Amino acid sequence: MNWRAELDELRLRERLAHEMGGPDKVKRQHDGGRLTVRERIDRLVDAGSFHETGAIAGSATYDEKNEIASFTASNSIFGRARIDGRPVVVVGDDFTVRGGSADATIHEKPLMAERMAAEFRLPIVRIIEGSGGGGSVKTIETKGRANLPGGVGTSLGFHYTTSNMAVVPIVALGLGSVAGLGAARLAASHYSVMTKSSAMFVAGPPVVARVGEDLSKQELGGWEIQTKSGAVDHAVDTEDEAFACARRFLSYLPSSVYELPPRLESNDDPERRDDSLMQAIPKDRRKVYKVRPIVEAVVDRGSFFEIGAMFGRSIVTGLARLDGRPVAVMASDPYFYGGSWTATACQKIVRFVDLAETFHLPVVYFMDCPGFLIGLEAERAATIRHGVRAMAAINQTSVPWCTIIIRNSFGVAGAAHQPAGRLALRYAWLSGYWGSLPLEGGIEAAYRAEIDAAADPAAKLSEIEDRLNKLRSPFRTAETFWVEEIIDPRETRPLVCEFARLSDKVVAPGLSAFPIRP
Amino acid sequence: MGEMPVLSELNAVVLKIEVAPGDRVEEGDTLIVLESMKMEIPVAAPRAGTVAAILVEEKQTVAEGQRIAVLAA
Repeated sequence: MNWRAELDELRLRERLAHEMGGPDKVKRQHDGGRLTVRERIDRLVDAGSFHETGAIAGSATYDEKNEIASFTASNSIFGRARIDGRPVVVVGDDFTVRGGSADATIHEKPLMAERMAAEFRLPIVRIIEGSGGGGSVKTIETKGRANLPGGVGTSLGFHYTTSNMAVVPIVALGLGSVAGLGAARLAASHYSVMTKSSAMFVAGPPVVARVGEDLSKQELGGWEIQTKSGAVDHAVDTEDEAFACARRFLSYLPSSVYELPPRLESNDDPERRDDSLMQAIPKDRRKVYKVRPIVEAVVDRGSFFEIGAMFGRSIVTGLARLDGRPVAVMASDPYFYGGSWTATACQKIVRFVDLAETFHLPVVYFMDCPGFLIGLEAERAATIRHGVRAMAAINQTSVPWCTIIIRNSFGVAGAAHQPAGRLALRYAWLSGYWGSLPLEGGIEAAYRAEIDAAADPAAKLSEIEDRLNKLRSPFRTAETFWVEEIIDPRETRPLVCEFARLSDKVVAPGLSAFPIRP
Repeated sequence: MGEMPVLSELNAVVLKIEVAPGDRVEEGDTLIVLESMKMEIPVAAPRAGTVAAILVEEKQTVAEGQRIAVLAA
């Protein structure tokens, strides 16, 4: 005798689980242009690498002989897999089983996925559709009582949803309609991607209609809303692109904070000098330029991976490699408010700098910051509050920091260009231009009496402006060692590659002194 | 292809209108120059086409997301 019969039953149960919500629901998923959760996992991870945990968990009915009569799998699927050869945890909602909601969830499954990531120090990819195992009012009837959110026995999931951010990389993919707890699990990540046909919201159109807003899913929480709001980092056309983004993001990060970012071999010469950098900044200070080509000319060819392009747009953030070493890159974008720090740009900086600190990524900042955004709208947005938070985030870092001043550095936002309490490397381009306050308006404030006393106030103003401009050469600043180095912009790549090599000796694995927040 | 609205991506003042309705433009051509934080910020044609309408005037304030021009195929 052997265990053949039991093995057959195990295989039968696994087969039933793989049917998910049944052929009709699977067809509906496909007709909607969406993959099933099992197809998603297969396309996300290295071929054949998925090892599922709890595949046969669900709810079954039995006949009179105690044989299994029907089976509905739990709508949370999880397990371990490999991405680019590195182990990860993947957890996904099965929308074909009761819309991914709580009615069919065994809530210990997504919880165990999070715990597995934390305990085994593995990145976790959350594939989210529906309410992500969150509540449906139907639960009141099926359970016969109302759920206290975060009540006895349910709070640990909420704990890991945010606490894991301090330990392992979290990528969240919103593929379909994502609401409630699903939206929370999407936003509580280091990097989130949605497809352009998806929508994400705290509560969907039927619930929102009851507060008087008649909106479609797309109008309420489509990609244009959620990437501009900063709730989701990136939007793509297809699910395959979302999987590619997830893999690429993870390629720059260590598997957990207890490791260092993985270095790749680079075939881009670290001493390469890009001539385009000599022409990159217009001599006319009122003219803008495109900053992404500057970043791309400096970092390893093809290595720049932008994050959050649609939010806080006066700052560009992304990951890149220098001589094969992953780094966090920030760059001002003068096309948006001349590169000034808006309230949303400051929120973006806080989150990005915290990511760099958490995962031991040295920071390179290409700076052209004329200050905080000014004016009534900026005051209403509490720009200064968000601004000092961004400054604090920079000051709290311990990862190596290198700033390239490519043009403006003005005011308090200008001062926040490197951690204030420790030494960073800093290079100013020939186009460097700085001050406590811009001359325009600054002169009127500081020379009021002199201007008012003049016979021709306008002529006096421009006379003072000329006088001050003659003193503003960056070389005079360098002469007094208020800036330590002015460089030929073409030297930037060799210098930041050297910075990345020096950083090897400084970065150390471990928990950040403060846990990152979503 | 139909009409395509061109939106302002930021709050700004219209500094200069570079094209007129009926003009043929290539992708990347400057349609309108906005001013923000004393900087001149060109708004480029998102694709080639004909300018169907200019919806703003010079010195006018525009808000982020506001339609400022319309292109036709």
